[in-house]
Amino acid sequence: MKEQLQQFLTGRIWLREHTPFPCEAIDAHIESGHIHLKPGIQTDEDQAFFGQLKKYVCNRCHNTTQHLFHTFHCARCNKNCTYCRHCIRMGRVSSCSELLLWNKEHVSYANDHEFAWNGQLTPLQQKASEELLTSVEQNKSHLLQAVCGAGKTELLFPSIFQCLKQGKRVCVAAPRTDVILELFPRFQKVFPKTTIHALYGGAPDQEGFAELILATTHQLYRFEQAFDVVFVDEADAFPYYADETLQRAVKKAAKQDAAIHYVTATPTKTLQTTNQSILSRRYHGHDLPVPRFDSLWGYARQLNKGKVPIKLQQWIEEKTNTSTPFLVFLPTIEMLENFPGDLPRVHAEHPDRKELVMKLREKKIPGLLTTTILERGITIENVHVAVVGAEQKIFTSSALIQISGRVGRSFQYPTGDIVFFHHGISREMDKAQAAIEGWNRS
Amino acid sequence: MNCLICGTAFQPTPTWRLLFVYEKESSTCSRCYSKFTKSDATIEFNDFQGTVYEGAVDAITALYSYNEAMKSYLHQYKFLQDVALAQVFAKTLHEAFEGKEGSVVPIPMHPEKLVKRTFAQVDELLNSAGIPFQHMLAKTATSEQGKKTRKERLEASPLFEVTARIEARNYILFDDIYTTGATIHHAAKLLKDAGATRVDAITLIKG
Repeated sequence: MKEQLQQFLTGRIWLREHTPFPCEAIDAHIESGHIHLKPGIQTDEDQAFFGQLKKYVCNRCHNTTQHLFHTFHCARCNKNCTYCRHCIRMGRVSSCSELLLWNKEHVSYANDHEFAWNGQLTPLQQKASEELLTSVEQNKSHLLQAVCGAGKTELLFPSIFQCLKQGKRVCVAAPRTDVILELFPRFQKVFPKTTIHALYGGAPDQEGFAELILATTHQLYRFEQAFDVVFVDEADAFPYYADETLQRAVKKAAKQDAAIHYVTATPTKTLQTTNQSILSRRYHGHDLPVPRFDSLWGYARQLNKGKVPIKLQQWIEEKTNTSTPFLVFLPTIEMLENFPGDLPRVHAEHPDRKELVMKLREKKIPGLLTTTILERGITIENVHVAVVGAEQKIFTSSALIQISGRVGRSFQYPTGDIVFFHHGISREMDKAQAAIEGWNRS
Repeated sequence: MNCLICGTAFQPTPTWRLLFVYEKESSTCSRCYSKFTKSDATIEFNDFQGTVYEGAVDAITALYSYNEAMKSYLHQYKFLQDVALAQVFAKTLHEAFEGKEGSVVPIPMHPEKLVKRTFAQVDELLNSAGIPFQHMLAKTATSEQGKKTRKERLEASPLFEVTARIEARNYILFDDIYTTGATIHHAAKLLKDAGATRVDAITLIKG
C-alpha cells in the first residue's frame, strides 16, 4: 500500500476525498509523517483603508480572483466555509477540505528507457533540435518558434530521451485535450519502455509511476514541485495565454530550479526565455499556404434568415463535388448551431468531436462546420479551409495562423485553399497574412 | 457581473423596476438562462386517486421542466457542490412564493447525507431567494429515491417524521424536483394527518 501511495502522490497535490485509497491507509501515512496536509483555501488578511480585508487563495489552482470564491454555511465543518469555483470541475476545494502532499522521499525510478524512433529530421529541424537539446542540458529555458506543420513534436524526442536517461521526470503539457490525445500514441511508440501517463479531463485511471507525463495544462493544477523539465506545447493556445492561473500552474508543477521550455507557432510577448530558435519551414520544405481574402458582405444577416451566402455555398459545393475534405470555421456557437443545411458540426460542448474528425479523415463525410475548437492539433490530409467572419474578435492573428496551418500539411498535398470570408478586413487578418508571407520569404 | 454558469461577463439589462424597486438582479447571462424552459404548469396527480395519499396535496406547481441545461445545472449544483448556483433561480422562486399564504416547509435531507454534501440544496434555494422557511419534518429513511421504481417508492415505509407542532393552517411544501410525486405525497400526508388544513407544493423542476 505504501508503495502505491508513494507512486500516486509523488509530485501531486490531491484532494483527500478523491483518492482511490482507503481512508485508514491515508490516516496512517499522515500519522507517520509521509503525507503532509494543506488546507484547501488559504485566507490572507489584507490591510485595507477600513479595517481588514480577507483575501482568499486556492491552494490547488492558485486562483486569487475573489469573485470566483463563494462562502456558505457548511454542514461538514459547521462553520462558514469558502470554496474555489475556478477549479470546481476537479472536485470542490473548500476551507475544510484537505489537500494531500507526499512529504517523504520521492519514488526512485528505473532509468531503463529505449528510444525507438527512426524517422529523419530535415537539416533545419536537426539544427533546431540540437539547439533545444543544448538548452535542456544547460537547464536553460528555451523558446522554439516553429510554423504549423514543421514537425515540432519530433524535435522534442531527442531532448526528452536525454532527460529520461538522466533519471529526470518529464512533463509535456498542452492546453488542449485533443493535442494530448494525439500525442499519447506517438510517444508510446517512441518510448516503448517508459511508463507514460496521459492526463486530461475524463482520462482513465493509470497505474504505476510515470516518468513521462503528457497532460493538459489544467491537470497541472494537481501537481506541485513534480517535474525536472517541462515542455509546454502550443503555448499560444487558448486558454493558456489568457488564463494566468494556468501559467502559474505550469510553474508550480515544475521543481524550483527546473527549466520550462515552450513550443509555439505564434509566441506572445509575455513568453520570456533565455534561448530561442526559429523554424520557419515545414518539414516537407514547401511554402505555407497563404490565406486569401474574399468579401462576404452581410453574411450574419443572411445566415440569420436561414440562407447560406452564395459565395460560401459555391465554395462548399465545389469542395463537395471534387470530394475534397473541408473545414468551415464559424465565430460563434449560435451561428454554428443555426447554420442551414445538414452538414455535421462540432463545438467544444459536442460529445462526439473525436468521431466526427475521424469520419472526415476517412472521407465518410464531405466536410465539417466548427468553432475555433479545431484550430490546432488536428491533421487531415488535403483539407481545405474557409473562415467565415474572419474579421470577428475571436479570430486573433494567432488563431488565424493556426487555422491556416491546417492546410497542406502532408507530402502528397502540400498546398490547398485557405480563404477568409469577411465583412471588412481586420488588422488581425492582415497580421496573420503578413506573418505567413514573412515565413515563406525567410 | 460574471455569469454563474458560463463565467463570461455580461451586463444585466437596466430596468426602471431595478432602479426604483428592490429587485433581485439576475446572476446568469441571457444565453445560459434561455436554455432553461419554464413550465409553470400545475401538475396533475390523478394517479394518486384511490391510494391512501388521495387528498393529501391540494395543488402542485413546478417552475421549470427538465432538459439538458437543467441536467448539467443539477450536476454542478448537487454533485460538484457548487452552492453559488442556488442564486440562479432566486428571482423566479421569489416570484413564485409571492402572495402565497402558509408557512414554507422544505423537504429535508437525511442528516448523514447532509454532512456528506455539506449543504442542503433545497434550503439553499430558498435562502438565496429570501424566502423564510421552517423545518417541520425530518428524514428517517436513508435510502435514495432515485434508485427505486415508482411502486417501490409509494410502498416504502414513511420517509419522514413530524418534528414540530402542526397547526390548522396552510402549509407549502418545497422540493427541488418532482419525479413520481412519492416524496411530496409522503410529506403532505404526514402534515394533513397532523392537522394541516391545506397543503400546497412547489417544486423547482418537473422531472
